[in-house]
Amino acid sequence: MSGDAPLDSARDGPPRLARWLLERALPPGIRGAAIRGDLLEELRSRSTSPARASWWYSRQALSLSLRYGWDRARRRLTGAGQSDNPERSPMFLESIWQDVRYAVRSYVKAPSFTLAVITTLALGIGASTAIFSMVNGILLQPLPLPESNGLIYASDTNGKGDNISLAWPNYLDWRARAQSFEALADSREESVTLTGTERAARLRVRRVTGNFFRVIRVQPVRGRGFTDEDDRPNAAPAVIVTDAFWQTHLGGDSEVVGRVLTLDDVPHTIVGVLPRGFEYVRPYDLFVSMGRVAGTQQLLDRGNHMGFYALGRLKPGVTIETAKQELRSIAAALEKEYPNTNTGVGVMALPLVDRLVADVRLTLLALLGAVGFLLLIACVNVANLLIARGAARQHELAVRAALGGGRARLASQLLVESTLVSIAGGALGVVIASALLRALVAVAPENTPRLAAVHLDSTALLFAFAAAAVCGVVFGAFPALQASGVRGQHALVRGRAAGFSGHSHRLRRGLMVVETALALILLTGAGLMMRTLQRLTEVDTGFRPDHLLTTRFNLGGPSWTEDKRRAFFDEVLSRVRALPGVTHAALALSLPIDGSNWNSIFIVADKPVPPRAELPNAAFTPVSAGYFETMGTRLLRGRTFDARDTASSAKVLVVNEALARKLWPGEDPVGKRLKQGWPETPERISPWREVIGMVADTKLNGVERETPLQAYLPVTQEPARGLALVIRTATEPSSLGPAVDAAIHQLDKDLALFQIRTMDQMLETSLARQRMSMLVFVVFAIVALTLASVGLYGVVAHGVTERTHEIGVRIALGAEQRHVLGLVVRQGLSMAVLGTAIGVAGALALARWIEGLLFGVTATDPATIVAVVAMLLTVALVACYVPAWRATRVDPTQALRTE
Amino acid sequence: MPPAYLGEFEQLLLLAVLRLGSDAFGPDIARELEARADRAVSRGHLYTSLDRLEDKGLLRWKVASGTAARDGLPRRIYTVTPAGVAALRASRDVLRRMWRGLEGVLNER
Repeated sequence: MSGDAPLDSARDGPPRLARWLLERALPPGIRGAAIRGDLLEELRSRSTSPARASWWYSRQALSLSLRYGWDRARRRLTGAGQSDNPERSPMFLESIWQDVRYAVRSYVKAPSFTLAVITTLALGIGASTAIFSMVNGILLQPLPLPESNGLIYASDTNGKGDNISLAWPNYLDWRARAQSFEALADSREESVTLTGTERAARLRVRRVTGNFFRVIRVQPVRGRGFTDEDDRPNAAPAVIVTDAFWQTHLGGDSEVVGRVLTLDDVPHTIVGVLPRGFEYVRPYDLFVSMGRVAGTQQLLDRGNHMGFYALGRLKPGVTIETAKQELRSIAAALEKEYPNTNTGVGVMALPLVDRLVADVRLTLLALLGAVGFLLLIACVNVANLLIARGAARQHELAVRAALGGGRARLASQLLVESTLVSIAGGALGVVIASALLRALVAVAPENTPRLAAVHLDSTALLFAFAAAAVCGVVFGAFPALQASGVRGQHALVRGRAAGFSGHSHRLRRGLMVVETALALILLTGAGLMMRTLQRLTEVDTGFRPDHLLTTRFNLGGPSWTEDKRRAFFDEVLSRVRALPGVTHAALALSLPIDGSNWNSIFIVADKPVPPRAELPNAAFTPVSAGYFETMGTRLLRGRTFDARDTASSAKVLVVNEALARKLWPGEDPVGKRLKQGWPETPERISPWREVIGMVADTKLNGVERETPLQAYLPVTQEPARGLALVIRTATEPSSLGPAVDAAIHQLDKDLALFQIRTMDQMLETSLARQRMSMLVFVVFAIVALTLASVGLYGVVAHGVTERTHEIGVRIALGAEQRHVLGLVVRQGLSMAVLGTAIGVAGALALARWIEGLLFGVTATDPATIVAVVAMLLTVALVACYVPAWRATRVDPTQALRTE
Repeated sequence: MPPAYLGEFEQLLLLAVLRLGSDAFGPDIARELEARADRAVSRGHLYTSLDRLEDKGLLRWKVASGTAARDGLPRRIYTVTPAGVAALRASRDVLRRMWRGLEGVLNER
């Protein structure tokens, strides 16, 4: 639907799919045009909601295309003009219509069969449509920006290939030298505090260069965009507000241009308002000009990578490969010109949309694969059901054949029947899909990109119906082929001897093997996902995550001098510690799981300095006294920070075990000296510091990531502006949120606390992606297992019915109960065993596709595979045992009489 | 030529066009049917039926220019032909004849 283009005026335009349908179905010329005009006029005059009006329009479009399509087909087939009597349809259509009515009647007569087929199909189609909608919305749809395909996202990389963001001077050189781009902008995400309003607010902003909006081809609807003037060091700080911010914070004031917002204590003039519905990658409140940071020394240092990323618009005809090549050669030239800062610095460049979804691509593709298997299983199952039914109806079909029903006629009837159920299954599938999609979006990680773009759209709808149609043709083919082979006189003899049913039974057994194999593959996937999640929750995080409340604040702006900040830290901690229910409180720049906010290279005093590209890198984390005690992180050597470590005392730090092991293997790190930054960074900017302690590793960048080297500094000696407050509580941590908020507000009413979360919530969020994959896989596997076992049961039960006579004879001749049981179970289980073997081979073959999603377990984990095989065979055994047990109840006299 | 046979819906359509007078176009006809005959009609049914009446020579249309509300697409204004009026009259006469004498049976209830 039009959902993929929020910039469109979706309000007065009819749904795209309906429009497309009409353009093809309506008669050409004035007739068609007039009807389209009528509909358009009616659509716009409807006073209902836009969604209802669209729905009305789609319904009318469907009715029009069906009516006109039918008329046209009729005219073509009768080969006659318009004067023909419309009441007389040609034979062919007439007979299809007959088939449809006949099929509906026969389905109504066998409700349980019909229900089984439609439910199976609906599950398969529903699940695949939901997952496809997700993949379509997140991976396939273009970004809601004009001509977003030409947008390239680029940055510097370090020697290891990690993105380290683009140094400002490097950006300026790229911009001056690169020929591949129409324009090259630079931008970064920031958060700022808005004051001067009733309550201070924390805002998400993007700082952009003057040409940014030219690159993305979006211009403000009021006021002006940024220009290159705004990039000059002394330019007045300017801000462009989004429509949402304009409405909520500025009351939609029409005189807004020229008003002033105080951001981090600096007045910014509003110069423009962006169009409604505009979104760049994620929702921002404001876009600010470079102005304030443009001339700063930090930015101008080529060795500093300050979080900026370039965004380029390719010239027409230039490929991403060409652009990448060009940037690489520029980077190589810069490496020669500035060996001090640019040694080992390379280039990352990819389409903007790929960059956005890089993290979830693997998960979504795995889910798409899983759902493909589920759809296949559903199809196989339905084929099985239909073949069984075809076998049961052989007599009826034979009678029809004997009475003169031609092969084609019978085959066409069966095809109509199967198409009919697939359409019914497809329709129910859409209902299931929309419910499932809602559930998926609810459990999806909150940071999933473009989740808002996910909806059950017309592409997905078409996909569902295409899947249904393919199902219809595929499984309709088997019974149709069989039935058309029936020879009247042969099948009229209602005996076991009819070779036809033997053939169908072989086919069904073959399908069962396939189904079991597919189910096993899905079960293996589900098993591996469960193991992954289990392993992740067992990981030693290096701290105690329970009873921890965290929040962040930012002391931005020139008035917050270092001394003022230090005083504020003390004040905050003493107030919070005094709150009832608080046992510990501390400050830190970065929190475990949440990720590091400051990474830097460093050198140590007692080791030779390696070449620049090989300098070690660590996460530097200023923390307050009491931090390790609050987190419950173990001290392994030396001491932690306390009141002795002040701004003027000797410069110290605490390292984690990983750093000590890497730099001083087998030695005691306490007493060693370390300096953050380059070897030539002057002492007054970054002094040498002495290691006073070593603590256990904590999972800094998420549970599944390797713990990086980490160095903790006393916040008194490195008073950062943006800090996390972490509080250990005696009671339920989230209940303390309001009290903490009030305490801080009392201290400074212009300070906005943001991201108030418990550590348990943070852990939960960090595992959300794995949890979603696991849930989906497990649900699919359960459905697959159920379908397979029901199918197996059906085939074995059918086999028993077919062989009632034979079993009766065996029992009459003295076969014991266990022999009969063994006979039937063996036959059933042989299918399951064969299927399982094929499934294991399949799972091993597909292992590498799922490898990237696993943690702590390999894709070929023997324990998982054994468990899954055991589970499948147990279920199969039960499914076979029930009909086998029934076989032992066969009364020989009864059985012999069925002859 | 004897007047063409008219189905019930065809009668309703022709009557609606007659009632609307000089500016009967699709949406108005649908509204008229809905308001007066309490008959919600799908647009597919409506336009194909109008076409059929046109094929039978009971209805004709002329083109009127479009407006902005319809993106400038043309309008078709329908009028009932003399043959259409004759067919309506014939249908009414048939019904009248069939009703005659049944007033007592159908009114008492």
